Amino acid sequence: MWSVQPLAIYCKIPLMASSDETSTDGPDASLRVDFCGLDFASPLVLLSGCVGFGEEYTRVKGFSNRDVGAVCLKGTTLEPRLGNPPHRVYETPAGMLNAIGLQNPGARHVVEKILPQLDFSETRFIANLSGSTVEEYAEVARIFDDSPIDAMEINISCPNVKEGGVAFGNDPDMSARVVAACRKVTDKPLITKLSPNQTDIAENARRCLEAGSDAFAVINTLMGMAIDAESREAIIGNNQGGLSGPAIKPVALLKVHQVYQVCRDHGVPIIGQGGVASAEDAIEFLIAGASAVGVGTALFYDPLLCPKINAGIENYLARHGLARVSQLTGTLRLNSPPVRQPGCGV
Amino acid sequence: MSTRSTIHLVEATVLEHHHLDGEQHILRVQADDIAADARPGSFAHITCDPCLPMRRPISILRADRRQGWVEFLYKVVGEGTRRLAERGEGELLSILGPIGRPFSFDTARRRPLLIGGGVGMPPMIFLAETMRGEKDLQPFVILGSEVPFPFTARPSTVMVPGMPEGVIAAMPLLEDRGIASRLASTRGYAGCFEGYVTDLARHWLDALDEEARGQVEVFACGPHPMLEAVARLARDYNLPCQVSMEEFMACGVGGCAGCVVEVQTETGPAMKRVCVDGPVFEAGEVFPF
Ligand SMILES: Cc1cc2nc3c(=O)[nH]c(=O)nc-3n(C[C@H](O)[C@H](O)[C@H](O)COP(=O)(O)OP(=O)(O)OC[C@H]3O[C@@H](n4cnc5c(N)ncnc54)[C@H](O)[C@@H]3O)c2cc1C
Ligand SMILES: Cc1cc2nc3c(=O)[nH]c(=O)nc-3n(C[C@H](O)[C@H](O)[C@H](O)COP(=O)(O)O)c2cc1C
Ligand code: FES
Repeated sequence: MWSVQPLAIYCKIPLMASSDETSTDGPDASLRVDFCGLDFASPLVLLSGCVGFGEEYTRVKGFSNRDVGAVCLKGTTLEPRLGNPPHRVYETPAGMLNAIGLQNPGARHVVEKILPQLDFSETRFIANLSGSTVEEYAEVARIFDDSPIDAMEINISCPNVKEGGVAFGNDPDMSARVVAACRKVTDKPLITKLSPNQTDIAENARRCLEAGSDAFAVINTLMGMAIDAESREAIIGNNQGGLSGPAIKPVALLKVHQVYQVCRDHGVPIIGQGGVASAEDAIEFLIAGASAVGVGTALFYDPLLCPKINAGIENYLARHGLARVSQLTGTLRLNSPPVRQPGCGV
Repeated sequence: MSTRSTIHLVEATVLEHHHLDGEQHILRVQADDIAADARPGSFAHITCDPCLPMRRPISILRADRRQGWVEFLYKVVGEGTRRLAERGEGELLSILGPIGRPFSFDTARRRPLLIGGGVGMPPMIFLAETMRGEKDLQPFVILGSEVPFPFTARPSTVMVPGMPEGVIAAMPLLEDRGIASRLASTRGYAGCFEGYVTDLARHWLDALDEEARGQVEVFACGPHPMLEAVARLARDYNLPCQVSMEEFMACGVGGCAGCVVEVQTETGPAMKRVCVDGPVFEAGEVFPF
């Protein structure tokens, strides 16, 4: 178990905006984003695996899917999966580990039983595709193609399954093959979700772009582990899990920046994600190159966070004289460190 | 039934915080919306400290709808509960609740047996108080603890069949409401049954005649091995039984599938979420033996 004493710095994370910043009548028009031709009411996207199959958070009074541009459904495979044994989640410094193992009822069940229950007038819904083989990804994509789903996210970055997932996502050849196979069976927007657990994320993005990806989600979780020192046991049932939350934000910002270099000239948008817990965080991702911003783990901290982030972004746009949130995308000012020769005073 | 808007996010003021032996604490907060909808078995998801933003699940011990307060009984086991114990009167706590499928009782079974172990006591006390509203029900509550009980036990004035000699200690709050209770511990506390809660339950069940035994329904909350023993007891006596389960949680509202237990269903094994499919399950689903 970890000690929290040295982590007092994280207390500064602005988790809760003051309530007077909260809007009640949905996101302001300045927050609208065109994402691959889809109309997002806000750049915020609820992330796969954090909100079940779309309606779970509506249990919370005051929560509304209308506050976000889109909702990504839980990772879905061709056949139902039970997922990993417990424990599946564990809090770590400024974040958490999860190893759910893609528990889901299978693509056909999702399309036939769950999608008809979703209120598509509230937001856009995005399926999250997973599989153990290239063919399985394509079959899941085909099933969702014949459904009202608005877009599909190809999850080639799940760290919690033995086959497929990150094993594909860390290999640019395999990544491109998965994307190409899905591209063949659907004209709906395809978003490739990239893993941070790889050497050259930009190269992978380039290959997926050539294979037909319309957009990217950057990043999925980083692989990690938690150990109980007393019992010497691995705490997570699956031994290892995916790290998410504020702890991964700096990694995610850099990866978004790197993938943006590839995407910029092609007009291919990015859903930046990893540790977003405030309007400032969301704005940083937009500046790094994202067109939309994902919120996952922070929802566990504050289920009513999204309207506060919307209000914070709106406020920022007004202060900076910007009419639309899309004007922020990729506006990062990089330093150009001068090349100096070391002198005697080094 | 629609599940929309059933859980409230409340900034609750700490009204009272009592610190008891065995690192146990009783916390009372003002949380009107949660108090209004709380049921025995439902829990709240509490931010113990801003430095530990993941919430911790704690059962609701009692709720007063009229005055709008909710009470919890918890034990310090790690960093989150340790920090929660530091929160003083007047401070604000972010609480999400009430959450979960509560206990549901069959009023035709007139002799409910409620078994609570350690910090599994709260839902049993809440359930017993709720049953008091049903005049035909005669609940019997067995509480077990391996640390000093979080209340001062007193000799019972309510007769209970089958109790071994000297097993007279009862919980005052239940006693005052005319609900029979007895205490068990392996620590040799005065007036308590020396042994496990399930052993004391067997004494009671064996003392009932066949007809009375047929009116028993079992409810339990406590550590996993205790629940397994209770499920076995219920199976041995062929009694319906509900148990409240625990598992690590992230969202607490059904979104992450982080909190699952394996259950047996008609179509085979399934992973159910403790937060919204539970925490209360049929014992036979979780412990199929
Ligand atoms: C539905 C439900 C009701 C509960 N009711 C009560 C109650 O009324 N009183 C009480 O004292 N305790 C109760 N618990 C257990 C309580 O949630 C844990 O003791 C607490 O989360 C421990 O947190 P920690 O940071 O102090 O401990 P740590 O061991 O440091 O916790 C580390 C992580 O593991 C999780 N964790 C550890 N043990 C448990 C556990 N037994 N159950 C769930 N998560 C755990 C924590 O939430 C945290 O995320 C309940 C648990 C559940 C699931
Ligand atoms: C409990 C949990 C389950 C997740 N399940 C999935 C999943 O099924 N598919 C997927 O692509 N990403 C999954 N993720 C990753 C998130 O979608 C997101 O990319 C990641 O958590 C980083 O964002 P965050 O720090 O805001 O949570 C999951 C994350 C968590 C915490
Ligand atoms: S804690 Fe997230 S589903 Fe139960």
